[in-house]
Amino acid sequence: MSHALTDAERERLATLADLMVPGGQGMPSAGDIDLANGPAEEVLHIDPTRLAGVQRFLALEGMVETLADVEALAQKDADGFADLGVVVANAYFMDAAVRQAIGYPGQEARDASIGLTDEDRALLQPVIDRGAIHR
Amino acid sequence: MSGTADPCDAIVVGAGPSGAVAATELVRAGLSVTVIEQGDWVLADAFDGARPQWELTQLRKWHPNPNVRGRPEDYPVDVAASDVNPLMFAGVGGAALIYGAHWMRFMPSDFRVRTLDGVADDWPFAYDDLAPFYAYVEEAMGVSGLDGNTAYPDGAPCPLPALPIGKVGRKAALGMNRLGWHWWPGSNAIPSRAYRNLQPCVLRGTCGTGCSDGAKATPDRTHWPGAIDDGVRLLTNARVAEVTVDSHDRATGVVWIDRDGQRHHQPAGIVILCANGIGTPRTLMMSNDGAGIANRSGMVGRRLMMHPFAAVMGTFDEDLESWVGPAGQILTSMQFYETDLSRGFVRGAKWNCMPAGGPQSFRAGYGDGPLTDAWGANLHERVRRKFGRSFEWGIVGEDLPDTENRIALSASLTDTSGLPAPEIHYTVSDNTRKMLDFHTARAVEAMEAAGAVETAITPLIRDCGWHLMGTAVMGDDPETSVVDENGRCHDVPNLYVMDGSVFPTSSGMNPTATIMAVAARSVLALIENRREVEVAA
Ligand SMILES: Cc1cc2nc3c(=O)[nH]c(=O)nc-3n(C[C@H](O)[C@H](O)[C@H](O)COP(=O)(O)OP(=O)(O)OC[C@H]3O[C@@H](n4cnc5c(N)ncnc54)[C@H](O)[C@@H]3O)c2cc1C
Ligand code: SF4
Repeated sequence: MSHALTDAERERLATLADLMVPGGQGMPSAGDIDLANGPAEEVLHIDPTRLAGVQRFLALEGMVETLADVEALAQKDADGFADLGVVVANAYFMDAAVRQAIGYPGQEARDASIGLTDEDRALLQPVIDRGAIHR
Repeated sequence: MSGTADPCDAIVVGAGPSGAVAATELVRAGLSVTVIEQGDWVLADAFDGARPQWELTQLRKWHPNPNVRGRPEDYPVDVAASDVNPLMFAGVGGAALIYGAHWMRFMPSDFRVRTLDGVADDWPFAYDDLAPFYAYVEEAMGVSGLDGNTAYPDGAPCPLPALPIGKVGRKAALGMNRLGWHWWPGSNAIPSRAYRNLQPCVLRGTCGTGCSDGAKATPDRTHWPGAIDDGVRLLTNARVAEVTVDSHDRATGVVWIDRDGQRHHQPAGIVILCANGIGTPRTLMMSNDGAGIANRSGMVGRRLMMHPFAAVMGTFDEDLESWVGPAGQILTSMQFYETDLSRGFVRGAKWNCMPAGGPQSFRAGYGDGPLTDAWGANLHERVRRKFGRSFEWGIVGEDLPDTENRIALSASLTDTSGLPAPEIHYTVSDNTRKMLDFHTARAVEAMEAAGAVETAITPLIRDCGWHLMGTAVMGDDPETSVVDENGRCHDVPNLYVMDGSVFPTSSGMNPTATIMAVAARSVLALIENRREVEVAA
């Protein structure tokens, strides 16, 4: 897969992403999963419509050392920041280690044929006992 | 015009649920049928439900708003003058490809709102007249649910057993029981076990962005394969530009445009529009060189109803696995469905309990504050607090008809075929706003009774025009309605409308069950009387 972003853009993205997604509370940081490289590139590959906005945002000049600096840039280009947010969040939450950390197996397949349990039917009994409510 | 095809007995415009019902019955009755659909087939494997990028592609590729999706088969919609964005999907299966499959019969009172509540209009027929047609389409769609719903006189029986309600359903039910309020296990056009051409649901919970498991009941699985086997000719990537009529106001066929921009004429004895509450009036308006047809009443495109939607999210301090499906409705409630004037509005709303989805639902839920609130340490804190621990009571309120809520043809915006886009003029009424305020307040109580530690109200979202109704209203009087009770246009007697456009009122229910049941009733009446249909010479 060829890179959608240049080396310089990926470097800038890495700086921003680490502020947007710091580590802590049992969660990896963006840097821990190397978000600006493989994961972000994969997102841009799946949804290339985000690329222009992300590149525009990454090209904005200004020191970014805190989240407030990111906010200041976002004021200059809200649409570009929205695209960046989509890319960073999806790159992060599509990562297997992140999913494991939040206890998310993904939209997994389960058995629907179990239907209603005895507990469910017991819960429903008062509704049945109250009788018809139609007009 | 690049060509005129051999005539057929009937053309159906649109391959969604209503078109599927119409075409299936017509071909079974021995008519030659051509179906014309602007979208294409979408195979189950195209949907991302089982892939990690599911939450990413729902933001663009599978977004319900055609303006966001921007596919060539979509027509854009000018929404500058609308409080609500109409949502839809172009493909074989129509919007059902991305519908939630919430399956609700209307209530008996929905057909009699003028008589009962003095508003809008009664329908020309009653719940009991439609009940056999509901049962008929429910059998085709493999609807799952529990018989005996105390909100319906006949219990709203379903052909398949209910889907599991899971931890979310039990939590929601507990709250409703504490308040003594009605709830019932959700009814869904989702099979709880293998059913005909449908795979059993695996509770993946991605119904609203397409079912990658071939489970959700969509016409590309439930109807079209059989109809095509029976002889239906289904043209895809084919956009109808107009219905052609002769000098005696008889439909002679349609003009359609292929993806290369070539125009074709398809002659037919009967034309049936099933292009939904926006696409159908648009087609009527585009006909006759843009002067419109079948509009003696002036009602074509008017009385648009879209069901403004509100929701209450509750967060709990325990793991509810609230990404598990169906999505789909887990529970419904009709506790506040009927009119109670002491509440300050007429009619009511149906509630549906739904799972909250994946982690990104909590990154920036509907209408969050400053952009960066969602980031930094807040991101982890929010996800930890809410993900897997939240669910929603969604509120579908009855939208009453208003002739000022309408569709016009845009003077500037066009689709990829160069046809005028629809322009929506729609204002959320005072009655609806009061209704949603009342219902969201009750839903907060329901969440709190269930033990929610946090609740969040979404008063109204723009992207909620899932249900498109009313724009070619049925009635007896040609001066005030577009079609008769069987969908036949008063002014063009071999032209029919068989989608939600014909609804005199919207109810507070998801409409597809009723759209399909009314289509079945209309098409069977057409077949019965077809010798009397006046076709063009
Ligand atoms: C995101 C979403 C969720 C929904 N959830 C639910 C739900 O849970 N329960 C429920 O009951 N309903 C739901 N709905 C509504 C439901 O999808 C519709 O009621 C149903 O699909 C209507 O069927 P229809 O065949 O009348 O119209 P559609 O399904 O809209 O089909 C019309 C077809 O006509 C085609 N068409 C339009 N114009 C032209 C033209 N000029 N030429 C050729 N083809 C044309 C379109 O491409 C489309 O395929 C939902 C809708 C959306 C968008
Ligand atoms: S919950 Fe069932 S119907 Fe819905 S997407 Fe998953 S498998 Fe398909």
